Formats: sequence, C-alpha cells, structure tokens
Amino acid sequence: MLILENVWKEYVLDQETKFAALKNIDLTIKDGEFSSIIGPSGSGKSTLMHIIGLLDKPTKGKISFSGKDISRLDDNQTSTLRNEFVGFVFQQFNLINKLSILENIVLPAIYARKQLNFDPRQKAIRLMQQFGIAGKENSYPNKISGGQQQRVAIARALIMEPQLILADEPTGNLDTKSGEGIINLLSELNSKEKITVVVVTHDRHIAAKTKRVIKIIDGEIHK
Amino acid sequence: MINFSYLVFIIKSAFFDFSRNKVRTILTSLGILIGVFSVVLLMALGLGLKKYIEQQFQSLGQNLLMVLPGQGFSQNGGQGLIGGIQFDEKDVLKIKRLKNVQAIAPFFTKTLKIEYKNKSQITTLLATTGDAFKVIKVEAARGSLFTNADNEKSAKAVILGAEIANKLFGSGEKAVGEAVRIQKERFIVKGVLKKTGGGALGSETDMRAIIPFRSSYFLNPDKKFFAIYTEAKDAKSVLTLKDDIKKTLLKRYNEDDFTVSESSELLNTINSIFSVLNLVLVAIAAISLVVGGIGIMNIMYVSVTERIKEIGIRRAIGARKFDILYQFLSESVILSLFGGFLGLFFAGLIVLAVQRLFPAYLDFGSVFLALGVSSAIGIVFGVFPAKKAADLSPIDAIRYE
Repeated sequence: MLILENVWKEYVLDQETKFAALKNIDLTIKDGEFSSIIGPSGSGKSTLMHIIGLLDKPTKGKISFSGKDISRLDDNQTSTLRNEFVGFVFQQFNLINKLSILENIVLPAIYARKQLNFDPRQKAIRLMQQFGIAGKENSYPNKISGGQQQRVAIARALIMEPQLILADEPTGNLDTKSGEGIINLLSELNSKEKITVVVVTHDRHIAAKTKRVIKIIDGEIHK
Repeated sequence: MINFSYLVFIIKSAFFDFSRNKVRTILTSLGILIGVFSVVLLMALGLGLKKYIEQQFQSLGQNLLMVLPGQGFSQNGGQGLIGGIQFDEKDVLKIKRLKNVQAIAPFFTKTLKIEYKNKSQITTLLATTGDAFKVIKVEAARGSLFTNADNEKSAKAVILGAEIANKLFGSGEKAVGEAVRIQKERFIVKGVLKKTGGGALGSETDMRAIIPFRSSYFLNPDKKFFAIYTEAKDAKSVLTLKDDIKKTLLKRYNEDDFTVSESSELLNTINSIFSVLNLVLVAIAAISLVVGGIGIMNIMYVSVTERIKEIGIRRAIGARKFDILYQFLSESVILSLFGGFLGLFFAGLIVLAVQRLFPAYLDFGSVFLALGVSSAIGIVFGVFPAKKAADLSPIDAIRYE
C-alpha cells in the first residue's frame, strides 16, 4: 500500500550545517499490516510518521501510495489524501475543545470533497457505541477522561473510512490500563476491519503487541 | 465544495468563538458600529435636509421668478443678498407692464417690535402687495388677507403669522379686528395665517407680520424694495419673462447689480451646496470605518495566533488552505457585519427619533451601503490574517504549544 524509497528529510540549521532527521529510508507497508515504528526520542520516528501521513514532505526520495507517486502532490491534493485515506491519532489527542464530542468526530466529513455514501452523524454515534463512549455526544473534550478522549480521537480517525491509521505515541498520555485499552482497540480494528495500522512508540511493550516492529535509530532503519 | 452544512458549521464555530470572547467581540465590532452609525446617520440627515428644502420650495410657485440685488443665488455668485442695489416702485411698474406677468410682489422687510396692549413681540415685518399671498402660497386661518386694492388705499391692515398671533392675543380668533401698534402707528389685524412651520418665507413665517406696502412708507421713506417676486402666467413663459425682466432692468442697472432667478434654479443651487457639504461629512465619518477595520485586523491576527494548534488539527484531518482561509475570513466578515447591523440599527433609532422634527430618512441605498461596506471591510481587513492562518505549515501548526 505504501512504499518509501530513498527518503531523506533534512533540516537546514544554519548556512553550513544540515541535520538529517531521516536518512535513506526504504520502507514498505503492506495492506492490512499492524506495525510499530520504535525508537528513542530524537530518532526520527515522528518525522517518519509525518511523512507517511502526508503532513510533511521529504527532502529527497519517492513515496507511492497504492501505486501512485505522491511525493510531488500540491497542498490541495495532499489535504484530500489526508482526509480520505489517512486517520491520525496523536499523543495529545488533539481534539478541538470548543467543539462537542460528536462535532469533533464528524469534523473530517465536513472537509470531505467526495460524496459520502453514509451519514457522518449516524456513523459517529455507531463508532461511539462500539468504543464504549456512547452518551457523550454533546459533552466536550475537556470534560471526559484521557482514555475516553483517545477513543474519540480514534473515532474521528475512522469516520472517513481510511485505509491507514497512524498513531503517534497514542498511549503516551495515558495510564497503563487505558493505554492497553487503546492498543487493544487498534489491534481489533486491524484484525476485524482489515485497516492498516502503524503505531509510533518508544515503548517496547506496546511495540510487542504489533505484528511487525520497525526499529529506527538516528534516522535510519535497523533491520 | 461549499455546501449548507459546511456553512452552518463555519458560522456556528465563528459564533462560538465570539461568545467565548464576548468583551473582545463587542469592542472589536464597536469600531465598525461607530463608523457605520455615523456614516448612515449623516446620510439620513443629508437626505432629510434635501427633502426639507424641497418641501420649503414646494410652497413657492413653480413659475416664480425672483429679482434680487447683487449676485443673488446664481450658480457662480457668492455675494448674497446683502449690499448691492435696492429696487423702487418704478421697477415694479415696469415689470408689471411686461407680458406674461400673472402676479407681482415687491418685498420690504424690517425687524421691529409689534405691540398689543402691554405685550410686545419682535418680528420681521414684511411689506408687500396683495399679490404676495398668491406668490408665496399662504392662506388665512382667521379673518382674510389684504388685497391689492387695500394696498392702493394704504389700508392700515396687518396679517399675522399663527404663532405671533397666539403670543400677542392668546389665539388667532381673538386677534382679528384688534388693533396693534407698529412703531406708534395703529394697524388693525385683518387676518391670521395658517400655521406653516416653515414655507416660502422661511422658518419665521409663523412669526411674521405682513402689511400693505403703501402703508409702510413711515418705515421706508425711500420707498425701496429688497426683492421683487414675479409669477409668470405658465411654465412655458417663465424663461421669456426672465429675459424680459433682465432687459428692462438693464436699462437702469448694471448686469452685476441684480439677479433674476427661477425657484428651481435656487433649489438646485442650495441642494448642490448641501450635497457637497454632506459628502464631505460622510467622507470624514468613513475614516472611523477604516479605523474599525484595522481593529478587526488586529484581533484576527491575535485569534490566528491563539488557534495555531487548532489550525494544525484541522489541516491534519484534511482541511485545505482554502478551508482555513474561508473559516477566518467568515469570522472577520461576521464580526464586521455584526458591527454594521448594530450601527445601522442605532442610526435607524436616531432617525426615527428625529423624524418628528426633521424629515430624515434611510433609503435602500444607505442600508445597502452600510452592510456592503461592513462586509467589504471584513474581507479586506480579514484577508491578511486569514492568509497567514492558511499558509501555516500543518506540521508546524500541530506541534505548536
């Protein structure tokens, strides 16, 4: 589904020094995989996730998504791909506090450019039931627990029926029990609904629950 | 695509932000409110002034020609009525003999005291002929008006304005037949005019005292007039008569000494003066709109900075640059329109309040302009902050703490 070839990400620090966050990454993520990207902080794993998730562009290299080269798309096209094919789950949950839980979940549908073949609100309510947060529709993100917020974030990531879920330290702000619940949920989505899931983490126990572990150190993948 | 639920969502989220920052929203809108309020109010007053002047002129006959000393009210003149020559009976007679003259009324005025028993009032006395009442279109409420024949007889008759009659006698009814003193001379009140509140003789019509010209020689030993009003037989003959009067008077006076104006000409001159004056006032008031716009721009920049994280989240889940631009632009337009509506509302209230005294009114143009201008301000001053928001890199925005 997703192929990275010779991907580099460099930051210019000043006129003489460049810092390479990612060096010559070759990576293939297959349809239906449940994998984790693991590495210490500063290893470049978040940068890699941002590039996979089309939030950031590589300095060099090629990325193909379902056989299409997507490394040279313009902003509108990458926005559309993010909207339709990728769902993000962040460490900080990143819900919009002034919107209700239900509004947060349907937000990606507001920005949809294609005709949806489902009703976003009904689907949101179904997802909330599935994730055990039913009844919180009109509540606000800062009124519910961290574990619940992360479930809302996953529901939001799923509303557009994406092919890929990218989770950046999804358990980082949660206690062990809630964190485990979130990982189990992601695992379930992968096994039951065949959604490709990539989890970025520094935690070996989390990584151990995934089917494939990609190690990254100093911007390079260790096989 | 912009569909209905998208619009509702954008507007709802804008209102949410406003309700969270009520004080800030009100203060920001206040600039636009004041700007729209002053522009709309000045426009309404300008329109009212124009209407008021037109109403005043309607009481003058359509076929009226005014012979005035100096440059009068002519388009290029500015010397006014003061100074210059004065006309005499010879001029009146000559004009009277011209073709197409329907009525002629020479005017002499003097400000003096009029007394009844122990009461007295200051009035601008008008001495003229019986024709004057036709020319200036005033009617008697009580008693009757004096005629040309009364003038020939030098009748000691006086016609009083409604208000001065009330002040001297308590009511118009009591005034008729009574004697008043004008500088020791006795005059009998022959009639009292209908209340006008204005009219051809200016706002003082109700405070006027009018006597036959020939009875005024004790005040006017030189037998001079400051103006001669002439009514032409019909609309077609106005310009012919105007030329004839000019020719007649040129035999005695220089071209610069007098002016013959049509009432419509006078109206146009006055209207054009007030239009320019009003335009200048509106332009000055419009400066506050610009200041209001800068206020909106300032707050929108603050709002963008406060919401960088939110922008990042929206971008991550698929919002395009356009969506972000649209969101912030909508907010600044709504903010500005909100001020515009309130400004319009308050200006409307003031207009309603003054309408009993003055015919100020709002026309469709000023409403449209107020709302159009406030939307335009929202767009113009909102576009830079909105562009800044849209151009944030999604990755930098979402990482922003």
